[in-house]
Order: sequence, then C-alpha cells, then structure tokens
Amino acid sequence: MLLEVEGLDVRYGRTHAVKALSLQVADDELVTVLGANGAGKTSLLRALQGLVPASAGRIRFGGVDITRMSPPERLRQRLALVPEGRQIVISLTVHENLLMGAYCRSDSDVRRDVEGVYDRFPNLAARRDMPASVLSGGEQQMLAISRALLARPRLMMLDEPSLGLSPLLVERLFDLLRNLRADGLAILLVEQNTQMALEIASRGLVMELGKVVLEGPSEALASNDRLAAAYFGHAAQHAG
Amino acid sequence: MSEASATASFRSLPVRPILLAIAVLVAIAVAIFAGGKVIAQQMVSGLMLGSIYMTVAVAFTLTIGVLNFLNFTIPTLFMLTGMVAWGVLSRGYLSVAGGWGWLLALLIGIAVAVVASLIVERFTFRYLKTRHGDATEHAIPLVSSLGFLLIFEHLVLIALGSEAQRFPVPFKADLYAFGLVIGLPQLASLLLALGIVATLTYVLKRTRMGRALRTIAESPDTASLLGVDVARIVPVVFILTGLLSGVAAALFTVNYGDVSPFMGEHIGTKAIAAMVLGGLGSVWGAVAGGLLVGLAETLSIHFLGGDSVQMVVWGLLLVVIILRPQGLFGASAIGKAKL
Ligand SMILES: Nc1ncnc2c1ncn2[C@@H]1O[C@H](COP(=O)(O)OP(=O)(O)OP(=O)(O)O)[C@@H](O)[C@H]1O
Ligand SMILES: [Mg+2]
Repeated sequence: MLLEVEGLDVRYGRTHAVKALSLQVADDELVTVLGANGAGKTSLLRALQGLVPASAGRIRFGGVDITRMSPPERLRQRLALVPEGRQIVISLTVHENLLMGAYCRSDSDVRRDVEGVYDRFPNLAARRDMPASVLSGGEQQMLAISRALLARPRLMMLDEPSLGLSPLLVERLFDLLRNLRADGLAILLVEQNTQMALEIASRGLVMELGKVVLEGPSEALASNDRLAAAYFGHAAQHAG
Repeated sequence: MSEASATASFRSLPVRPILLAIAVLVAIAVAIFAGGKVIAQQMVSGLMLGSIYMTVAVAFTLTIGVLNFLNFTIPTLFMLTGMVAWGVLSRGYLSVAGGWGWLLALLIGIAVAVVASLIVERFTFRYLKTRHGDATEHAIPLVSSLGFLLIFEHLVLIALGSEAQRFPVPFKADLYAFGLVIGLPQLASLLLALGIVATLTYVLKRTRMGRALRTIAESPDTASLLGVDVARIVPVVFILTGLLSGVAAALFTVNYGDVSPFMGEHIGTKAIAAMVLGGLGSVWGAVAGGLLVGLAETLSIHFLGGDSVQMVVWGLLLVVIILRPQGLFGASAIGKAKL
C-alpha cells in the first residue's frame, strides 16, 4: 500500500472534523472521497499533507511513518496536494508559480519538466510571464495541477478540483486525471461531483460528519441508494 | 510565443526606478531654474537624508510585506548600531585598527543589530514554528516587538548613558558640481542605499528565495504546501531587517556624526511615514517615500523653520492617503502584500 491511514482524528478546538478515519490507497489506484459540505473532506486532506495536525492516528506513506512530518517533508516524500480553491499565488507570474511547484527539487530536469507543462497547456505558455491573477478558473486549475505535478508526486491529492468549472472544462479535467492515472500516478480525489468521480475511480469512500459511512468499489457505490440518501440529504440541507 | 517574450522584456525593465530617477533630476533642474542654488542645495541635502529614511522604510516594508508584521524594533536596531559603534570606539577597544577603527566600529554595530534582530525573531515569531498554518495573530509579535524596543533601549541607557554623543568622523570630503556642494560620504550613502535596494529587489524578483518570500507574503499556508520551510525562511527576513537598519544607522552616523539612545525614534517615525506614503509592501514605494520625506524635511526647514517639519511630513502623508489610500506605489488593494 502506498498510503495507509489508521484511526485519524482531526480537531479544531471543540469541532471534531475527522473521526477515527482509516483509508488506504495502492500504488496504481484512483480513490475518491465523497461527502456533503462540512463532512470533513478538506480536513482529511489537510491532515494528510500536514497542514493541520492529527490529534490521533497514524499515517504511513510509501512505508514511512509521516504522521509527525511537516508539509515540506511530506512533499519531499512525494505526497502532493492540489488544495481547495486552487491557491494559485496571484502576485507571482504563471511561470513563477510553476517554478514554485518545483521548489522542493534540486535536480536539473526542472526546466525540461516546466517546458513539458507548456507543451501540454498552450494557454499557460501564452500567459507565461503574466501575473497568475489573469488566468480564468479553468486555467488556474490547470496551473494548480501542473504545479503539484512538478513536485513529481507518487500520490496526488485533489480537493474538489471541478468546483466552479463549466461542464466542458470539468470533462477536460476528468480526462486529464484519467490520463495521469493511466501514466501510473496514484490519486486521492475529493469531489462533490459524485457521478463523474465514481466513473474514473476504482474505489470510493463516503464521509458524513467526519466518519466513513460507506466504502467500496465504484460500481457498487454508484448504484447504492444509501449514497444518494446520505449525500444528497446533507447537500440539500446545506444548499442555498 | 513572440508576444509572450515581448511582454517579458517589458516587464523586466526597471520602470519604477527609472521614472523615479527622472522625476528627481527634473525636480532638481526645476528648482535650480526657479529657486536658484540655495533651493537646489536644500534638495540635494534632502535626498541624502531621504536615502537614510528610505533604507529604514525598506526594512519596515519588508517585514510588513512578507510577514504582515509592523516590526517596532527597527528603530531600536538603528539606535543599537550607532550606540554600540560609539561605545566600542570611545572606549578604545579598537585602537589596534588604527585609522580604520571607525569603520570596524560601525561594522560591529551592524552585526549587533543583526543579532538583536534574530533574538527578536526567536521570541516574536517562534509561535509560527509550533503551529502550522498562517500567522493570523499579528498582535502577539507586534506587542512583543514593542517590548523589545523598550528592553533594548533601556539596556543601552544603562550600559552607555542617556547623553547624545559625538561619533568622530575621520574625514570630510566635498564634491563641487553645478555649483552645488555634495558631501562625498552623503553621495556614497545615497548610492549604497540605492544599491542595497536594487539588490533586494533583484533577490525578491529573480531568485528562488525571493519567490519563496513572495509566496509566504501572499499565503504562508500555500508556501508550506509547495515545500517552503516557512519557519526556516522567516529568520532571513529578520537578518535583512537588521542589516538594513544597521547600514542606515552607519550611514547616518558617518554623515551627521551624532549618536544617542533616542536616535532611532526620530528616524523610525519618518520611515513609517515614508513607507505608508510610498505604499505598504512596495520596495520602490519605500524608496520614493523615503526620498520624498527627506525632501519635505529639508525644504520645510528652509521655508518654514525647524518646528514645521513634523506638520509638513505628516500633513503630506495624510493628504496622500486621503487621495490615494494605497500610497504612491502601492498595489490597488490596500494591505494586500505585493513585494
Ligand atoms: N480552520 C477551522 N477551524 C474550525 N473549524 C473548522 C476549520 N476548518 C473546518 N472546520 C470545521 O470542520 C468541519 C469539516 O470541515 P471541512 O472543511 O473539512 O469539510 P468539507 O467536507 O471539506 O466541506 P466542503 O465540501 O464544504 O469543502 C466543518 O464543521 C467545519 O466547520
Ligand atoms: Mg472542503
């Protein structure tokens, strides 16, 4: 197993955002975590990257215990996160954002890999030296993903990457994830777009109030009534 | 592709410094024609004084820009350099250095400012290391930096007394150009200060560390996510702060020859005014603001007398921030760091 999480707890003061959560991702898997607003999905990913401390539990990555490591140390273990809201550095140029993606690297292939990003996304190449704030939502998401990929992760975690994108761009995003997955990258995908996430994932987990309430192969989950009930029940409550 | 590279070369032109230099030269030329040499001479002195404000203003703007923290110890770091330099020199510790004792004394003073700045970091920014995520509790470092201001000031008062002192400047060399008298140490100060700021701008804009600092300025959380050891880089900002304050104090000491335990307060308030005038978090804004405050000071002394300085400087500041709250060179969004 590439990622093994056991009994993970995340607390913010009195809020218990993640409760005794266990989770595993294999080397060549795309696993999706689903759940309504406030279920604790972001808290889970932030704890896995080390941005919030785990108040209990153990995280092993590539056979190494990373539970007490700082976010940069985890990145150097090649665990990367594309955060909620993309978190593009808007006062840096597109190119500088990409260079920041490779900040943790000291090898000489960085230049080649950055050029590879430009080949893949001509839109980014055209705006190379402009402040990243001029990018559209879709371009920002491409930049955020490319930036994470430049750290050469073994596992990439994405927090609701389809949020705010047009249906066409969502389609393109999922194609990209499918390709990355085919190239051998392991992915942990948090999504609200249940149907599409289950289409590309091999397995899924459903979170509710910090706990995993449902887990299994994608096909089984997609046809599970309880998923719809749990998920959309809460989504409806939080909507508006 | 060609479009992108054209934009790149345009962006890398140092537009602001060039505009600034042109504005300064035009102003002096106009002053010579309109007001004669006396005014032009005042403007030259104002720019020299302004170069010191500017260096301190850059120190302020750097900590605000990167850490979102108004570092109140900067005036004390300034004072420490002057007083420590005077202390080691006047007690004859540096007689071995012969005629270069004054320089060695100033370098020791600068080193002390850097070390003091690092001590401040330990006790104001330590909390960043223990809790991950962004530093939202600005009041903690702010208040503890005020504490350090008083502690350092009183340490100096106890060790070196409260009197203003004369720092022996070993040379006096003036340059005569266009009928103006320009002190060579002053000219050297202006050039050195501008050189330091230009270097700093280069580091911030073009190097790996500069990118990391600008990322921290925008979001410590994102920086950490991208592999930046925020807790390891924060001390760099404090080293730069100590260096800028110390160098400014050394230039001040060489040019004016006076040191006192209270020398930092006068400079500190002017530098804060200069920073806000130029625009928070903008390095070239701090340069423009510093030079402007220096000019405002000498010109108001000339026309209105010494008591008018504070009114003119702060009046100018208020007028500018009412018309343009983000300052002359500031970003359009107030308080959003743009280094
Ligand atoms: N920094 C924080 N401080 C306090 N409570 C927080 C913090 N971040 C999240 N929470 C709380 O933790 C719970 C889980 O939030 P989290 O953001 O992890 O959910 P989520 O599943 O990502 O939701 P969404 O789909 O809206 O992004 C919520 O009750 C939220 O209010
Ligand atoms: Mg979330």
